[in-house]
Amino acid sequence: MRRRAVVLAPLCAFLCSLLAASGAAARTGTHSSTRVTGITVYAAASLTDVFPKIDSGPKYSFGASSTLAAQITQGAPADVFASANTTIPAQLHAKKLAQKPVVFTRNRLVLVVPTSNPAGIHSVYDLRKSGVKLVIAAPAVPVGSYTLQVLKQMGLTSVLGNIVSRESDVRGVLSKVALGEADAGFVYSTDARTVPGKVRVFKIPAWAQPKVTYALAVVSASVNKAAAARFIKEVLSKAGQKKMISAGFLALPKAKSKR
Amino acid sequence: MRKALLAFFYFLAAAVALAFLALPILAIFVHVPPGRLIDQLSNPVVTDALIVSFKTTLIAQALILLFGTPTAYLLASRRFPGRSLCVTLVELPLVLPPAVAGIGLLAAFGRVGLLGSSLSAAGITIPFTQTAVTIAVAFVASPLYIRQAIAAFEAIDPNLVAASRTLGAGPARTFFRVILPLSRGGLAAGEALAFARGLGEFGATIMFAGSLQKVTQTLPLAIYAEFEVNFDVTLAISALLVLISAAVLISLKLTSRWQPSEQISPSRFARLSWS
Repeated sequence: MRRRAVVLAPLCAFLCSLLAASGAAARTGTHSSTRVTGITVYAAASLTDVFPKIDSGPKYSFGASSTLAAQITQGAPADVFASANTTIPAQLHAKKLAQKPVVFTRNRLVLVVPTSNPAGIHSVYDLRKSGVKLVIAAPAVPVGSYTLQVLKQMGLTSVLGNIVSRESDVRGVLSKVALGEADAGFVYSTDARTVPGKVRVFKIPAWAQPKVTYALAVVSASVNKAAAARFIKEVLSKAGQKKMISAGFLALPKAKSKR
Repeated sequence: MRKALLAFFYFLAAAVALAFLALPILAIFVHVPPGRLIDQLSNPVVTDALIVSFKTTLIAQALILLFGTPTAYLLASRRFPGRSLCVTLVELPLVLPPAVAGIGLLAAFGRVGLLGSSLSAAGITIPFTQTAVTIAVAFVASPLYIRQAIAAFEAIDPNLVAASRTLGAGPARTFFRVILPLSRGGLAAGEALAFARGLGEFGATIMFAGSLQKVTQTLPLAIYAEFEVNFDVTLAISALLVLISAAVLISLKLTSRWQPSEQISPSRFARLSWS
């Protein structure tokens, strides 16, 4: 999965830049976004679609935040690290591998089933049915740990027996459900929107919803920290936040978004 | 002078190549003290993956031997229209990217795949099961065996087979008493390579079978899953796989030593298959 993202991201960036060059930028109106080039952004798989829309300039590598963090720990050439939780960047910061992380968006967890709904699932509680093929992300991956939180909160730990695969990132979960191979899976609501018509989405009750907060940071080993900081500023900017929200991400609480 | 220079260049190139190939393997063993590597091997993630890996690989090997040997014999002993096509088909999984194999297996045996509806009508679902792992392993590993087996069968002196037949042995008896013993070395070599390849299968498995400890998480999948959790465990599994692979290769060299080397030489086969 990750390899595909690595290949696709520069391709997307390239295509986007072609579009921009061919005058399509004029149509999108006033903001001629300043493209930050020459940096590599390691970002959570759930940001695959939105980040290149905010800025097509950087090279992107999308994957599970935990995998990306492990790669950065092993010396991968990242300039910015954007994680689907706050703990992983905080850990990198504590190890002096990243600068102080900044919260930049929020998300919501949802249950998705294939449109054909072969297991007849209509709420999270239906996951208790025997023989349901549930796919979740590995526990080290943010979305996997959020999923475990939800199931624990709802008293549904018995559902763990129905897990047939622990995928390496959120897009792995999504594709197994969208293909119809799995009966259900937990993904972010923004991921569910990327495969319209392929999955049905069920909300998780608000009281069981985990706090899905994204944070990003400049990687300490970056040789282009100024450009990396510019990219972060761009994501936090009004235009950047607008794109995040139109992709389905949640606005930051007022107090935090002012920073 | 020029000769010396050339010799120096050969030596240098060989030294660079050997160092390049050996360094990553050495690094696995020296990165962490051996005591800690051995400790990690008792980690349940490792033992579970070891069981899944060996179970699925052994079943796949049995299937490969059962179906691959007659296939190879047919392709080696008969000349028929479309034979080259068949040989190419057999070899294709060898050069196919594993991810393509995974997609193909999903498209064929997945719940919404070609055979999916008839399989589920029979109450069988394959994805996310050990059957799926076994199928993925068999798909990517069988070409190594079949290729080698064709070469081994083709290397047999046809006069020996003819002699056996004229001396009154039936085709079955000739196959088991003459052909199989003569091609034993080549078959064993192919089988060993297929075993090693099957044990290392990753891409098709993760796409077709998913990854779940105790069920579908093989040793290579465990390396991938543990990479971000516990680097020592990944090193331990890697070291284990290096040792297994090395053991396979060494036993291969030892068996080939007391077999005529011609039998495991693929050159003959390569010429025939692409003619």
